[in-house]
Amino acid sequence: MSDHTHGDGHAQGELDMGHTHVSSPAMFMTVLLALLFLTFITVAVAQFDFGSANMLIAMGIASVKASLVIAFFMHLKWDTAVNKLMFLSSFLFLSLLFIFTLADQFTRRLDHELHTTNSEPVDGAWVQPAKSDGPH
Amino acid sequence: MSHDDHHAVVIPAPGPEFVPHTVAHHFSTPVQEFQAGKLGFWLFLATEILLFGGLFAAYFYFHELFPETFRVGGEQLDWRLGALNTSVLLLSSWTMAMGVRSAQTSQKSKTMIYLFLTVLGAAGFMVIKFIEYKAKNEHGLICFGHLFDGYDMASGQVSWFKDYDGVMAGVPHGHMFFSIYLTMTAIHGLHVIIGAIAIIYVMRGTAMGRYHAGYYLPVDLVGLYWHLVDLIWIFLFPLLYLVP
Repeated sequence: MSDHTHGDGHAQGELDMGHTHVSSPAMFMTVLLALLFLTFITVAVAQFDFGSANMLIAMGIASVKASLVIAFFMHLKWDTAVNKLMFLSSFLFLSLLFIFTLADQFTRRLDHELHTTNSEPVDGAWVQPAKSDGPH
Repeated sequence: MSHDDHHAVVIPAPGPEFVPHTVAHHFSTPVQEFQAGKLGFWLFLATEILLFGGLFAAYFYFHELFPETFRVGGEQLDWRLGALNTSVLLLSSWTMAMGVRSAQTSQKSKTMIYLFLTVLGAAGFMVIKFIEYKAKNEHGLICFGHLFDGYDMASGQVSWFKDYDGVMAGVPHGHMFFSIYLTMTAIHGLHVIIGAIAIIYVMRGTAMGRYHAGYYLPVDLVGLYWHLVDLIWIFLFPLLYLVP
């Protein structure tokens, strides 16, 4: 997928644009086929139950597809460092949102495991610790 | 080319079917104009990631809270239509990338064809989306006529969802999955429509010969927007239609 050309992008030769990266049609076609193949894989693996790994597998494949779109279709691979930093940092801030939101959920599960081993879960999702014996 | 002599910087047209581009007066060089446009647009795309990111956070939160609701809800969606729409968007992303490439290489008619195919992909996506919404409306899963009728505090039920005793019986808060499904796909669909309008706008400019190897920034930026629409859908498809 590295068969791209660095054209100077202008015929007149008067102005050096200095930013043009023209990718080859072969590269775009390769990326498209990879994306379609990964879509097929997404559907195929969804037919099997890997338990709690289901989400990780689906999001893993989606992340690979997203990386292909960002790097090649969006040309970020050949973009300036500041543009790369700006766009990719949005995912960093997004991960903060996810970490703090999901930390709530995962600590609820932890709470469940720590305190309700002797009682039946009410709805299978989360139960209030029935009787707390003192501080913990 | 300096600021003080007020001489406009003009990028010559590469052929008779094109028009020269005059660099906006507040930029010193074409490169500065190009990079400023790109920087601003990437910043905008970063805010788009954060906009959809909030919705994805809501998805993960409620998926963890009501896994059965999401599993049964996802089974009500037709994954074949979802996969078809994924393929349509991926193909249109490819035509868009080829359209930008054609503009970069001053191939006017090829640019027009690729951009037109991309708009066709957008239209196809929305038609399939409409078919899906129509089915949900008929099955009482999302009653579009009652979307803003409110929420009953006593029963915890919403008036736009009529299926608490149907396929979604036995799972808590049956409307929750469809609430998230509609919010995410509708905001995404809005982006598809806006993207299509933006592509039609650059098709107009292309027909006028404005975009060529020396100046193709608008085509490039609209392309980035369209790829973002594709990017969001890449995550929406498995999460909503296959519910891991």
